[in-house]
Amino acid sequence: MSTLEVEGLTVGVTRSPTSILADVSFSVPAGKIVGLVGESGSGKTMAALTMMGLLPDGIELRSGSVRMDGRQLLDPARMTVSRESADMAMIFQHPQAALNPTMKVGRQIARVFSLQQGAGRSEAMSQSIEMLRRVGIPGAARVAGAHPHQLSGGMCQRVMIAMALACRPRILIADEPTTALDVTIQAQIFDLIRDLVAETGAGVLFITHDLAAVAEMCDSVTVLFGGQVMEEGSRDDIFRRPRHPYTTYLLDSVQKEVDPHVVEAGVDFELVGCRFGHRCDYAWEACGEVPDLVAVGEGHRSACFLHTAEVTRAGAS
Amino acid sequence: MAAESMPGRSRRFVPPRIDGGAEALPLASRKPLAVVGMAILAVYILLAAVGPFFVADPVATDPVNALLPPSFDHPMGTDNFGRDVFARAVHSARLDLTLGIAIAMCAMVIGSAIGVVAGYWGGAVDETLMRFTDIVLAFPGFVLALILVAVLGNSTLNVGVAVTAAFVPYFIRLTRAQALSERELEYVDGAKLAGNRSARVAFIHVLPNSLQPSLVTATLVAGWAILTVSGLAFLGVGIKPPTAEWGVMVSEGARDIDAGHWWTSFFPGGMIVLAAMAFHFIGDEFGGREA
Amino acid sequence: MWSYLGRRLLVSVVTVAGIVVVVFFIMRILPGDAAAVRAGPYASEEKLEQIREQFGLSDPVPTQFVNYVRDAVRGDLGTSIRTGGKVTEELLIRLPASLELAFYAVLLAVLAGVPVGIVAAARRDTWIDRAARVVAVLGSSMAFFWLGLMLTFLFFFRLGWFPGPVGRLAITTEPPETITGFFTVDAALAGNWALMWEAFTYLALPAVTVGFVLSAPIIKIVRSSMIETLDSEYVRTARALGVPHREVLFRDGFRNALIPVTTAIGIIFGYMLGGNIIVELIFAWPGVGRYAYEALRVNDLEALQGFVIVVGLLYIVLNVVIDFVYSWIDPRIKLGQRVVA
Repeated sequence: MSTLEVEGLTVGVTRSPTSILADVSFSVPAGKIVGLVGESGSGKTMAALTMMGLLPDGIELRSGSVRMDGRQLLDPARMTVSRESADMAMIFQHPQAALNPTMKVGRQIARVFSLQQGAGRSEAMSQSIEMLRRVGIPGAARVAGAHPHQLSGGMCQRVMIAMALACRPRILIADEPTTALDVTIQAQIFDLIRDLVAETGAGVLFITHDLAAVAEMCDSVTVLFGGQVMEEGSRDDIFRRPRHPYTTYLLDSVQKEVDPHVVEAGVDFELVGCRFGHRCDYAWEACGEVPDLVAVGEGHRSACFLHTAEVTRAGAS
Repeated sequence: MAAESMPGRSRRFVPPRIDGGAEALPLASRKPLAVVGMAILAVYILLAAVGPFFVADPVATDPVNALLPPSFDHPMGTDNFGRDVFARAVHSARLDLTLGIAIAMCAMVIGSAIGVVAGYWGGAVDETLMRFTDIVLAFPGFVLALILVAVLGNSTLNVGVAVTAAFVPYFIRLTRAQALSERELEYVDGAKLAGNRSARVAFIHVLPNSLQPSLVTATLVAGWAILTVSGLAFLGVGIKPPTAEWGVMVSEGARDIDAGHWWTSFFPGGMIVLAAMAFHFIGDEFGGREA
Repeated sequence: MWSYLGRRLLVSVVTVAGIVVVVFFIMRILPGDAAAVRAGPYASEEKLEQIREQFGLSDPVPTQFVNYVRDAVRGDLGTSIRTGGKVTEELLIRLPASLELAFYAVLLAVLAGVPVGIVAAARRDTWIDRAARVVAVLGSSMAFFWLGLMLTFLFFFRLGWFPGPVGRLAITTEPPETITGFFTVDAALAGNWALMWEAFTYLALPAVTVGFVLSAPIIKIVRSSMIETLDSEYVRTARALGVPHREVLFRDGFRNALIPVTTAIGIIFGYMLGGNIIVELIFAWPGVGRYAYEALRVNDLEALQGFVIVVGLLYIVLNVVIDFVYSWIDPRIKLGQRVVA
């Protein structure tokens, strides 16, 4: 059964017709790792921030639903996800920047324990050292007394994960957790996340632009571009049977060793219709409308007029 | 791959776009304080430009009508020589605004030139200039201007020179920092490779790109220059009575205040503060937000 | 740490030496004859000569300079030609008055400016923020002499709430025995609460005048550095992990915003070390600023030089103190690595 279900999430710039996320839906089952994939500016991080109720000023949630075990987390009056009942925790792309530079890391974790379980100061501290040990930090007691700038990026990410786990989350949102780290450290962090999923049964929303990481980590994948869901399916669906032109483009770009972050045209958020339209080799007049997600296989859906056009075009000619 | 199932490539498709966006908002709602500043400044400039032709003689005394409170005939009252405070304040606007803007522009031009030299050539030239600005900046600009006027002698021009000198180090610092970072950019190498001499590169290529922050600072300096000039005049340094100048007027009006004649110092002082605010609203909104 | 202090000391000595040289030679260009001022309008030529001899004014300038530096190193900044007193002593008597005013003015500015800056940042782009920015612009556009005059008019002449501008205490009041030189502190140490209260009432108007102007840069810097920290990733983390709003604002936001704020406070205080000539004149405050102004009016070179040098020294000492405070607030920064914005 699904733990987290997100439906029809639409997020836009305040007092502007521009939408950054348009009708985005996905779900994260307990104990599974779901990839949210796309290049820079595709809205991956914005989706995560929406679920955490952390949208920046000037960005507003317009519609949608975020449910945990069927319970609605979205407060319709304030149009934000209420933090109190969320059971979600998040880790970030730049672990060193994500930790308070003037606070010892042990205190930062202990603070979460105090908040979540009302633990006393010394109890929270011993819990936080225990947590540091659990995320594989050698000399946990010593590290607890360090400031973030004294730790490496990989260590900081472990600390960050420890902080997130201190919330006892049922869903962990990992936003590009290894992008800023070395490859060897990256593998260690992946192992840690997989172990924690096995151990705690939490679901993970794994946000990345790195397809290799997705192939290694995820059970299922949602491909995002320009704030629209392009394609979703199991890992095998996406990697072996991609149907959407953008997904193929993304996969090709890896084979040609093109960094998908280096984007020729970027995303134009003021486009009407399919956002990939201006970069798509197959685009035609129909793409001025937003295509619906249509089933192209068992649990595999794609949003492109190509799938419906095969029928209509054939019929017309 | 999966491409076989798709129809053939079409010509490049240009999708329709939504028009409008955040940039379409007028200046008034994006930077309301700057607009307020510009409006105040426009009124001042109008007063300074045409005001003196319409008001009474600023130095004509009329002992019979001395120290009259504000009224329809004398909107800001009269001082203890019977001079019309409003007329004097309007004449003063021309003097103070001219000084303020001229000082800011001169300090910017001189300071930027020196700053580019320091930042672009670096080395001993830079080191010497920076130590020198350190020394100058170690004590407040007001004290510096005060001493300089004492050295140069009392005159309106000397006040301008002294206050300019006190503000030059700000622009040296600012432009130097800009030049240091600009120097590293590729276009400077490009200009050099194209055979430009270094002096030309420094002034023609680096200087204009260091200009934007300097202009913002110049707006703020114009406000401070007015405060400094009138402060000096208040102390009896530089511009002296009976010249119609806001600081001189406050200084003269200060003698009336213990008898309850507040208007001879309140209005000219208020004019100073409002003028400085106009400049600072503009400088603040363009500097504080974007830079 | 010792190497830091050594380096710092070296730079300081160079800067002070530079100040001495520049000031000394600028002073020699000052027009007017100090001896004539000292001697009075009806003095004979012999009398003038005698005074010039006595104050070393007839020596060649380089000799004067060497003599001055030799004495200055021993702490003797010469003799005031105006009063005939030792400049070092006269400055030391007046310095506490200026420092006490500066201290309370900066304190007021911090107490008012920091909360306003925090609220403006937390409620960014609302009317509260706009109002705070207008207050900051008003402060940085304020003319000391006008504000001081208007406050005196309103609170002394009209309302009578505060004493008139006659200095640190009523003329008839005996000042407390000098321990720190701060009347408020000395009176408290002597257990004389009435005297302390009186000192505070005399401080109020000048301190508010200066404090209001100084609150402007503090509001601006607190606001902008708070906005920067509130937009930071670690504040986002704290919020993501459910840390309450108030704690995020103060523990994560403000503590980190303190770093630029400390620098700003240091610079502002440094600015006030020389006293504020205009405010000290308006309120008849017996501080170093007024002393320097009076010295300038009569070409009292030694007194003016002494003033500039003492202010320069205090400024440097203050900067070292800021460095220490800095390394305490921000664990990333070691002594002497302060990044000056």
